[in-house]
Amino acid sequence: MNKIKHNKAECLEMFARLSEYIDNELDEITCRDIERHMASCKPCQVCLATLKRTVKLCENMKDQPLPQDFSLKLKHFIENLTEM
Amino acid sequence: MFNRPNKNDDEDSEMIRTINSGRKDLFHVLVDRYSRRLYNFGLKMCKDVQDAEDMVQDTFINVFRYLKDFRFETKFRNWLYRIAVSSCIKKKRRSKFAPEQELSLEEFVTGEPPTDPDGLPFWAAQPLDTILNQELGETLRKAILKLPKKYRMVLVLRDIEGFSTIEAADILNLSTANIKVRLHRARLFLREELKGYFKDEQNQA
Repeated sequence: MNKIKHNKAECLEMFARLSEYIDNELDEITCRDIERHMASCKPCQVCLATLKRTVKLCENMKDQPLPQDFSLKLKHFIENLTEM
Repeated sequence: MFNRPNKNDDEDSEMIRTINSGRKDLFHVLVDRYSRRLYNFGLKMCKDVQDAEDMVQDTFINVFRYLKDFRFETKFRNWLYRIAVSSCIKKKRRSKFAPEQELSLEEFVTGEPPTDPDGLPFWAAQPLDTILNQELGETLRKAILKLPKKYRMVLVLRDIEGFSTIEAADILNLSTANIKVRLHRARLFLREELKGYFKDEQNQA
């Protein structure tokens, strides 16, 4: 395998694009470049994994239920609004 | 009337057409469908529960007022959030938790990325279910509230409400490039906060 040395400038370039990579918003060539770099750069792998995990945690955040008194207030409010 | 299929047609479209044809009494269906989500959006965007409740109410007043002019040029849900965002902005007050600062990419790269010779840090390596608990949920909630508002708006719309980059750009009147930049910085900010949380957890264990 063609091993790429850990190179600060290259890492910084990766770093700026990691979210787009996670969101599948990059073209194929850029994706391949990132993957090639990742394969040989442990710090970037960790960076990507922890960022991915951060996104997953946000996506899985639990909703709070509507407070009961507010739910009732809103119901009455909407009834009044639509009866006008 | 002949209804032409519209790319923005979804389960809301028919209901809106019915309400606009004179069934105002069915407006509550839209309220029931979206009030919980909007309230949760408000909890992350407003300074307290009272403001979040006011925001939900204001949003539905405006939706009701302008629903007859809704032309299905966008999905109803996107339009609803556009109104909610503008209500949030009106309520904007300075928060001591989240000053309106800029987040730069550089501040997240200073210092080496975390390296672990044995592999990934455990919070990234464990299955999601194993680490998700109430305390982490609370930590994440607080971290989101610490984000400066312009980043928080984008993160909440994209990663919590599930809007696409293009939809978020449309809702916030920003370019897609701007959405991407803000989202990335917001995620990096949260990642730092979570890293701190898991480090403390491990130290206590």
